[in-house]
Amino acid sequence: MTGSRLSGIGITKRYGGLTAVDDVSVTAEPGRITALIGPNGAGKTTLFQCLTGNERPDTGSVLLDERDITKLTPDERARLGVGRTFQRLAVFPSMTVADNLGVGAEHRTTAPRLLRIGALLLGILGFPTVDEKRHQLHVDEVINMLQLQEVRDTPAGALPTGTLRLVELGRALCHDPKVLLLDEPASGLDSEETAELQLVLRRVAGDGVGVLLVEHDVDLVFDVADTVFAMAEGRLLASGTPDEIRAHPAVQEAYLDVGPPRSVS
Amino acid sequence: MLALNYALAGLGLGAVAALSGVGLLITYRATGVFNVAHGAIAMIAAYLFWQLADVWSVPSWLAAVLVIGLFAPALGALLERVVFRPLQRRFATRAEGLVATIGILVLLLGVAIEVWGRQVRHPSSLFPANVLHPGSLTLHVDAFSDLAAVIIGTGALGLALKLTPLGTQIRAVVDRRDLAELSGVDADRVAAIGWSIGAVFAALTGVLLASQLSLDSFNLTLVVLETFAIPVIAGLTNIPIAIGAGIALGIGMSEMTLYNPSNTQVLNIWNALHSNLPVVLLLVALLVRRNLAQSGGDAGLATTFARRRAAEPSIPRMALQYGGAAVALFVPLTFDTVSLERAQQVPALGIIFVSIVAVTGYSGQISLGQAGYAGLGALFFARFSSDTPELFALLIGVLAAGAVGFLTGYPAIRRRGLFLALTTFAVGAFVSRFVFQQPYFTNGITVSRPSLFGLSLAGDRAFYLFELAMLAIAFLIMYNLRSGALGRSLVAIRDSEEGASSVGVDVRALKVLIFTVSAMLAGLGGALLAQQRLSFTSTDFDPLAASLPWFTVVIVFGADSAAAAIAGAGFVVLINSALGDPSAYEIVVGLVAAFIGYLPGGIAEAGRRLLEWVMTPTALLRHYNAATAPRVAPQLSDRGQAALERLRATRQARGES
Repeated sequence: MTGSRLSGIGITKRYGGLTAVDDVSVTAEPGRITALIGPNGAGKTTLFQCLTGNERPDTGSVLLDERDITKLTPDERARLGVGRTFQRLAVFPSMTVADNLGVGAEHRTTAPRLLRIGALLLGILGFPTVDEKRHQLHVDEVINMLQLQEVRDTPAGALPTGTLRLVELGRALCHDPKVLLLDEPASGLDSEETAELQLVLRRVAGDGVGVLLVEHDVDLVFDVADTVFAMAEGRLLASGTPDEIRAHPAVQEAYLDVGPPRSVS
Repeated sequence: MLALNYALAGLGLGAVAALSGVGLLITYRATGVFNVAHGAIAMIAAYLFWQLADVWSVPSWLAAVLVIGLFAPALGALLERVVFRPLQRRFATRAEGLVATIGILVLLLGVAIEVWGRQVRHPSSLFPANVLHPGSLTLHVDAFSDLAAVIIGTGALGLALKLTPLGTQIRAVVDRRDLAELSGVDADRVAAIGWSIGAVFAALTGVLLASQLSLDSFNLTLVVLETFAIPVIAGLTNIPIAIGAGIALGIGMSEMTLYNPSNTQVLNIWNALHSNLPVVLLLVALLVRRNLAQSGGDAGLATTFARRRAAEPSIPRMALQYGGAAVALFVPLTFDTVSLERAQQVPALGIIFVSIVAVTGYSGQISLGQAGYAGLGALFFARFSSDTPELFALLIGVLAAGAVGFLTGYPAIRRRGLFLALTTFAVGAFVSRFVFQQPYFTNGITVSRPSLFGLSLAGDRAFYLFELAMLAIAFLIMYNLRSGALGRSLVAIRDSEEGASSVGVDVRALKVLIFTVSAMLAGLGGALLAQQRLSFTSTDFDPLAASLPWFTVVIVFGADSAAAAIAGAGFVVLINSALGDPSAYEIVVGLVAAFIGYLPGGIAEAGRRLLEWVMTPTALLRHYNAATAPRVAPQLSDRGQAALERLRATRQARGES
């Protein structure tokens, strides 16, 4: 796996009179874990949606390495290597866990659209168009890494939230992302699952993938992140290493209501 | 002055159109459901009014009070109690609500035809039909009375909702029923009132509209359905704009009669446009307003009707299933001529039903315009079969249907749920009105059965075998759509469009593709149906007489199963031939569809469960839990789950020590 740099530059997004994100720039470097934090309504999720392509920013641009992907749709970005998970789960409930991950594995292609549509047409006529064995190996690799072996052939709709977060993560990983965007990956996880998640994230970043997470769990963020961007009321307050952010007066002021972040042992 | 008089003449129809649109809008605001059955309620009320006032000679004011003031609120409350309250209680998806309303529409249509037949009636007007002539103007008293009724009715309702707590309560129940209940609102009562208000508006629309146009079960229902254009134009919120749009529609239709082109071709097109302005407006409004899903109109996907796990279908199991089905399909070859002719409808209808399985069951896109594609397949086949070999003409029919399906696929990219359903319905209605019902396209058409390599298939047995061969091709395509990477991508779109696009599934291409393939299959089925009938009849491919009941049959039998679709076709043909009555099956499937919430996955899923139960009872329980757990069964929070596991671990440790 090789990673890419994903950056949002001067992103502004308004909904009617409300400016949800106001001229914010963030960058997720390859091989590093970047976190986006902020109180409710800070604009984290809107910014995240602009990066994934689910929202179109009013001004500003999104770059993947040098390439401007601002106008691309979510699936186009995904094929270029932008993987993501969802805060409100978006698994395929009627499919087994293996098939959920399989969908991720089978769409690792940068083939031009005409070729892909040609493959679809061949598929309708019954010709196999993907190398199922190769994808299956890849799926099993990811299933082993996330320790999902026991639920491999269970329909996703029957599994609890914590497991489904891992299924979504696995689906994104099967797609071989160059940068991985995670929307509140720890919500609904217990402390043990959160610890496992940390290990997985470190391993993914260790492979060179850029990881960007939006997270409420400040402990997790300060444990795992290399770089932290702190937002409040649609603006970027500060960015830097976890220690710098913790010590930053503006951040402390903005977070005074929730108390200063607990020190990490 | 002439134009002004025409505008005044159009005022009455405009007022009723406005009433219809505002009624749809208010029902939505009061219940949170886009009531597709609104038109059918209007139609039933109109028939009741006609029965009372014109057959039993009840004074028309009394008939109006009985129908609009008594029957309609009771029907609304009944629907809330038996259909929509259980759906609410089970936290059903909006798609389930949509199918329930389609089921009610099909049911009421069936009942109306059963009771009052297909004869067109002309009910008397509720208001005096006098005409006044102040100066050179022509004033129709009933038109102004209609307008006054609309404005007073809407205004009084708006005022009542503003001045009493009921308005707030209704909004609270529609937005968050659980929270409203927690704060002491009797949500059931409020919802029942909401449905009653909606039904009163529908009934008033029906009574006024029937005297303006005429009373015909399909036509009246369709016109009201087409006024969905008005809430769409009004952005689902703005009632004054809705009233204005309705009145403009009526005046526009009236003004159009002023233009009389001398060229017959142009005149024909103009007349078609004039008499079908509502469907044009609906289609245009739906196509122009692209962001309706964001304004709260998303009805969700059809996942609920297709519960089967997307496991790879195993060849032996499929061989067993389809082998059995194939044997059943060969039985009619031993029938006598009359029965065989009836049985010939099964493969043709079955292929059309299978096309609905492809688009709705396999990939979650609700399509209510399938009869339009089927009719195009039939029409193009018929047009070309006189000059070209029949098989080639069949191919042209299939391609023509596919082309329109391809075009429908584009709007489907950005639409879901109700708005996709309405758009596909509008396409079907548009094709029906502007192609199937135009003599220019259908005059002098003869339909013949194909011949294969000089071998005529005109004989009943030979033709039936040919149909089976076509059915086999359709099944092969369905198998390919179901299996492998392609099958998984389609199910992925059905289950979660967002999730699918997050891993690079080309959602747009797949949607266009599935609409095209489905339309081609429908076109094939339609062409076979015309060949079976040896004629092209526009009513065979009517949006209300065909598309909606067909969709309902497929949902009821199991949207996810091609085999069940064939069974559904068999059921329709069987009921029709047994009772000699083309609307009997609508009552049955409409009734089941209204309560589809109790039968998730349709008859096919119930059959699968029964089979599993026969084999092992515990498997049934497991499957049932798996199928219903995410929505119905209360789940422990993760914290609770963790606590439970800790508890278990402690118990285990104690037990061992």
